[in-house]
Amino acid sequence: MKRLLVSLATIAIFSLFFVSCYYDNEEALYPTLNNSCDTTNVTYSSTITPILNSYCTGCHSGSPPSGGITLTSYASVQALASSGMLINALNGNGVPIMPLSGSLSTCRIAQFQIWVRNGMLNN
Amino acid sequence: MNILNKDAPREINYATATFKSTRIMNGHSIEKMPPGQLDVRISHRFGTINSGAYNFFGLDQSNIHLGLEYGILNWLMVGVGRSELEKTFDGFAKFSILRQSSGAKDMPVSVSVVTSIALKTLKVPDQSRTNYFTSRLAYVGQILVARKISQGLSVQLTPSYVHRNLVATELDPNDIFALGAGARLKLTKRISLNGEYYYIANLKTNFSTQIYNPLSVGFDIETGGHVFQLFFTNSLGMTEKQFIGATTGQWKKGDIHFGFNISRVFMLKKHQKPLNN
Repeated sequence: MKRLLVSLATIAIFSLFFVSCYYDNEEALYPTLNNSCDTTNVTYSSTITPILNSYCTGCHSGSPPSGGITLTSYASVQALASSGMLINALNGNGVPIMPLSGSLSTCRIAQFQIWVRNGMLNN
Repeated sequence: MNILNKDAPREINYATATFKSTRIMNGHSIEKMPPGQLDVRISHRFGTINSGAYNFFGLDQSNIHLGLEYGILNWLMVGVGRSELEKTFDGFAKFSILRQSSGAKDMPVSVSVVTSIALKTLKVPDQSRTNYFTSRLAYVGQILVARKISQGLSVQLTPSYVHRNLVATELDPNDIFALGAGARLKLTKRISLNGEYYYIANLKTNFSTQIYNPLSVGFDIETGGHVFQLFFTNSLGMTEKQFIGATTGQWKKGDIHFGFNISRVFMLKKHQKPLNN
């Protein structure tokens, strides 16, 4: 009986964690940010760098960076982009799809492609 | 004869060592750490085999999970861990509800409950939006029903529920319901063949990224105080939240990761009383 009470109490304490349960998705929670896929004004500093910083440089920075690939400087990103490796990795063409935790949204991949097509400018 | 049977005190024989480790491979097994014992776990999942010879079939990349797990009571163990994947911290508690036994008490199966929390600490892509701490959390509840059928064969069914507070798009469900199935076949005294599969019930609803059911096949090798688990799996994640409803690899395409778990048990406290009570 005592054991039953203790187990019920412990389960009750753990279930308290479920109090902060939400049913959110990024589209609904941040409508203004997600509905606008800005493909006209794509720049390295305002479009590409923020995506790299949030999805890529967690692993692809420091020493040694994952896979020997650094994505913290314009020069290294530009080199990977001009070899085609950057876009291939985002689409999983011949290499494991990046990020490993799940591919970027189609909007973000499109922004990368636009930046590459526009000449990979450091703007 | 009846009198004889009455007089002889019948003992309860509990089934022990249904599985070799506290995990079948990725997911929890019915096994728990006995009270006072600390399990230090180091797990790796390498890159995919189809990444080719240049990447040494995936071995150039690795993902790590570190875990510290401890038995508090006969029926309760807790653990904390940290995954490299999405820089995730996790914590769990495993409660034993029923134990398979024969003899004076007949119980066909062992039943445990696992609850766990995962906290993703990867930096949020967009710092300009209002980001909530709760968006980083996911919860998992599992019921483990296991039976040691014979000395060599054990099976387990694992109905699972995963809740993610924040998902990417409206297509992605916050709640995932899955049924896990695992088995262990003993090959020799120290080696067993294990398999584990999770069927995701709401897989048909279109996720924004294609999700597959995680399947793992491999071996448990016991050497003294260590258990080595070596296997192939299509999931990169090592905690429930990361492999149920977030496995993007496909066996058919060769998105197979070689992986291993190493478990080393340290006895921090001597048993106060025998386990069978």
